[in-house]
Formats: sequence, structure tokens, C-alpha cells
Amino acid sequence: MKARFTLKLAAFMAMAVSLLSLLAMGLQYRLVETRLTEATTAALNADLAGYAALYQQRRIIALRQAINDRASTGAELLLLQDRNHTRLAGSETAWPPAITPQGSDFSTNAVQRFHHQGSDWLGVARILPGGFPLLVARSLTPVEATLASLRKGMAALGGVLLAAGAVVGSLAAKSVMTRIARINNLADQVANGDLTARIPGPSSPDEFGLLETHVHAMLDRIENLNRATHRLSDTIAHELRTPLNRMVQKLAQIEGQPELTAQLKAEMRNAIRVFDSLLDISRAEADQGGGGLLPVDLSAVVAEVWDLYEPLAEDKGLICTLNCAPDLQILGDRNLIAQMLSNLIDNAIKYCAQGDSLSLTLQTSGPQHCLILADSGPGLPADLRDAAFERFTRAPRDQERGIKGHGLGLALVRAIAARHGAKLSLPEVDAGLTVEILWPKL
Amino acid sequence: MPTAPDRILIIEDDPEIAEAVASEVRGLGCSATIATTLPEGIALAAQDFRVIVLDRMLPGGDGVEAIAKMRALGAGAMILVLSALGRAANRVEGLEKGADDYLPKPFEPEELRARLRALLRRATMQGQDNDLLVFGPLEIRMKARTVHINRAHVAVSPKEFELISYFAQNAGQIVTRMQLLENVWHLHFDPGTNVVDVHVGRLRRKLEEAGSHAIQTARGEGYVFAPLAAV
Repeated sequence: MKARFTLKLAAFMAMAVSLLSLLAMGLQYRLVETRLTEATTAALNADLAGYAALYQQRRIIALRQAINDRASTGAELLLLQDRNHTRLAGSETAWPPAITPQGSDFSTNAVQRFHHQGSDWLGVARILPGGFPLLVARSLTPVEATLASLRKGMAALGGVLLAAGAVVGSLAAKSVMTRIARINNLADQVANGDLTARIPGPSSPDEFGLLETHVHAMLDRIENLNRATHRLSDTIAHELRTPLNRMVQKLAQIEGQPELTAQLKAEMRNAIRVFDSLLDISRAEADQGGGGLLPVDLSAVVAEVWDLYEPLAEDKGLICTLNCAPDLQILGDRNLIAQMLSNLIDNAIKYCAQGDSLSLTLQTSGPQHCLILADSGPGLPADLRDAAFERFTRAPRDQERGIKGHGLGLALVRAIAARHGAKLSLPEVDAGLTVEILWPKL
Repeated sequence: MPTAPDRILIIEDDPEIAEAVASEVRGLGCSATIATTLPEGIALAAQDFRVIVLDRMLPGGDGVEAIAKMRALGAGAMILVLSALGRAANRVEGLEKGADDYLPKPFEPEELRARLRALLRRATMQGQDNDLLVFGPLEIRMKARTVHINRAHVAVSPKEFELISYFAQNAGQIVTRMQLLENVWHLHFDPGTNVVDVHVGRLRRKLEEAGSHAIQTARGEGYVFAPLAAV
């Protein structure tokens, strides 16, 4: 099993951390960009102020002189032309097409950003009084270079963060998975019926250790309850059967009343059957879904029990049919299955009358083995269908007709079916009673 | 020639039941030794007893759990578990853990006698491998799985053959319905109705039609296979 959830969580955490870091870096980037642009603008302003002062003193001549002096640094773009757009001074020979002159003074208004010869510039363009075009600009290349390396750094950091997140996440998922696998293994063992299974070794002092401790405490409790249930049924058996045993011994000493003693013995045997059925039902219910089942040849058990009851049914005048596919295997308890079939068939024989039919079919249907016992007898009263498998359910008509029973037979059938994970149902039929049991294949 | 009586060990904590079992044992002509705790019983078990009657919920533990220990200590006796843990599951558990027979309490004195006799007989019959069992005019061929009366073949079903074989192994003794259900059908629960009677009745009719009255009803608890007495 993959640690899907843990992996998702780790991926989410890594993404969240990376996104937050990138957001913080983005804000910083904006700040740096603004500051650097401001610094360039300030330098440009200083330049303009200087040229303005010179222009104040000696107009174009002073300006031409100053520009010629500075034109060679490369970080600036300077150009002064005459009325006919002939160069008077500056680093450029021709006017850059990307910028058009605006205004005629040395103020810091209308600063333009433009592209020229492969790089970005920040500058002002004017036409000075008398028709002299002037361009003063500062290069934005250093700013761009700084920002570019900043971007590269951010990308690299983001990548590293994601990779680290992935590594840490998968490691965390793996370690969490190992811890959870221990508990899952335990749960599997318990589900297979081993209530004594525990996680070996000491539990660590963390939340998983705490979970293991809690699961262990829970299992201890279940095991104790289960043991107590078993002990209780043993005790009930002992406390009931020991005095009955003494009674039987004493009955043997009574002479001259064989009928009465036989009746008393039959009553005792009956009482024991009721208690045994109750204990068998609770035992089968307690063991439900648990282990302890062995491969059983269901076909063989069905054939044996049928063989045991068929003469009884024939003697009663029932028409019997057995349709049993050979070698169908299940995981089960042979004795319980035999008891269940015996209860069902005995029940059917008890209620059917001469001339009724009784058929038992066992065949494979899809992923299951399907066992169907159908009779053409009186069936179940409609109001009893839902409660038929409850303990002590008896039809009033049986009590009137004097048919003996305790209403435990079908309850035991249901408990044994559940013990085997088999599905028990009463399909709707036109006449009689049909019981269907679907057994999981081995 | 007087021989020493067979010895039977009774491991049972309830004195009343122990005494009842002991009186049945003496009734069979055997001598009874009683142990009231499990350790005491285990210590005695290695002696030359023919049968050990073993209770389960004893002071000192569960008798069934001690069977392996007794065997390991050299007990060679047949073991009959006699216990209040009498549900089918308990019986199967006891037999799986090495008991030779399992009788739930409360038990009928006749049932106990029948079981003890069968075990005593099994102890002597072990190792014998007779293919042909002859009871006067009645012959049972074990390997061919056929029954003949006065040299005439009697058709029996496979189950009926197993039934007559079990009767033959216990010829002359009472065999109870519970014993038949356990040994012939290998079922360890009380089905409530006497299904066994129907089978015995059919076999009996077949034998009678062929001229043998070998199977007789024993008053009370079961049947006797007595082919020689009933000619």
C-alpha cells in the first residue's frame, strides 16, 4: 500500500512553504526594483540640474562644452543638436527614434523610459528655445543586471525548496508508513482470529507509540472479555451438568417406574440441548470472522448429513432429491456445518407431510458455493419470515399443533452461517420453504 | 486360572461422581483407582492401567490439556474423557487432543459401561487385522466390504456396511446410539431425533430377510449385535 495521504500532505506542505518563500522574495524584488529605479531617476535629476545651471550662464555654448566633456562614459546617453538636427555634441550621431522631445525646459517632468541599441534607458528629451533638441538619459543596464541575477537566485531557491520538500516528504511518508504498517499488520492478525497478537518491542514515546499503547489496551480488553465469555460458558456447563449428573445417578436407583424415569431423563436431555444450543450460538457469534477454520469438503459433509437423514425422510413419505456437485471446498468447521445442515433438514422433515418433496442442491455459482434446501411443506407464516432466525422464535400454530421445539434451531443455523462468512437467505417461493446459503469459496 | 483384574484409573474431583464411576468399573470386573487432582492423576497415569477416565475442570487444570503430558510420561492406557464440557465443540477438541473417547456429563450408567467395554476391547483388539469376521452363518469381508448370510450375499449400502462393521467390532456388547453417531457418522452433536434408529432398522430388516437376527434392541439405551446367541 502506498502512503497516499501522507505523501499528499508532505507535497502540500512543500508547495506551501515554497510558495510563501517565493512570495516573500517577490516583495523584496519589487522593493529592490523600485529603489534602483529611484536612484537612477535621482542621478538623472542631478544631471539635469547641472546642465540647467550651465544653460543659465552661457546657453548652448556652455551646454555643448559640458556634454562634450562627459560624452565618453557610456553609462549616459547625451545628444545636443542644432535647428537642422545636426549634432553639436554628445555620444550619439543621430537622434534615437524611440524617444520624442517633450517640453523646452530643464525640469524633471516627463521622464521617459525607452529602448535603444539593445538596452533600456531613462531620460528626458527637450527642444530648447531656438530649436535645439537635447537628449539626456541614464542607462538602466546595471539595474536590469541586478534584477536579473536576483530573479535567477529566486528561481534556484524555489527549485531547491521544492526538491527538499519532495525528499523530506517522501522520507516522512516512508517513516510514517512503517509505523502505520506495524499497526495494520497487528489488525490483520487480529482479524484472522489471533487475539493474542501484539506489536513486538517497546513502543516509542510519540503519538504512534501512544496509538500502539491504546490499540494494545483495547486488544487486552477484548481478549479478556472473550476469555470471560468462554469461561462463563464452561462454568454454566459445569454448574448445570454436574447436578444433572447426580440426578441421573439417583434416577438409576429408582426401581419399578421405568416410564417416569425415562420421561425425566428425556426432559433433562432436552434441557441440556437448549443450553448447549444457546452456548453454541453465543460461541459461534463470538468467533464470527475469527480464525480457527480449516479446509472442509463441503460436498462430502452435505452428502454425509443427507445420507443420515434421507431414510428418516423416506420413512415419513417425503420425495427426496439430492443434487450435490463433488469436491466443493470451503474454509470451515466440519462439525458446525454438519450441525447446521442437520438442523435445517430435521426442521424440514418435521414440518413436511407425506407426499411433500424435499430437495438439497449444492453447486458453484460465481465466486460462491450455493446450497439450497427446498421443501414443499407449509412454509413459514408470512409474519414470521423476518424473525425466523431470532432466538426463541416459534410459530403459534406449532405450539397449537404440539410440534416440539425451542426456537433455537434456525438461530443456530444463522450463527453458524455468520461464523463461516456465509450468506443465509429465504428466497420468496410459491410453496413451502426454501433456504439458500452462499458459502465463500476456498 | 485367576488373573489380576484390569485396572482403571479415575481422575475426578467430585467424590460422588468418582464413586459412581468406580462402581460401574467394578461392575465390569475391573479394579478402580481414584485420583482427585490432576497432578495426582498424572503421577499415577504411567502405571499399567487399561483405561483412564479423565475429568476436565479439575483442581490443577484441564484434563484434556494434560493428555499429551501423560502420554509423554509413558501412559499407554485408553483415555475416556468424562466431562461437563459436553458441547460438540468440546468433544471434538478433546478427541483432537488425544482422547480415545469423550462422554459428556450427565451420563447414563449404561452409556458409561458401553464406552468402557468398547475401550477395553479396543485395547486388546489393537493390531489385529482380520479380513474375514465370522459369526456363525454371518460373514463380514472387510476388504471386499461385503456381508454374507448362509453364503448368500446381502446387499448393504456403504453406510450400512460401516454400521455392521462397528457392531461386529463390539459384538456381544451394548452399543449406544450416541456411540454409533460418533463412530459411524463421525458426528459429535445430539441431533435430537433418533435418526440412527432408522438406519439400524433398515440394516436389521435386511439381515432378518436373509435369516439373521443378529441386531437386537437393548432395553433402554441401544443395540446389541449378538449373531450367535440369536440363531
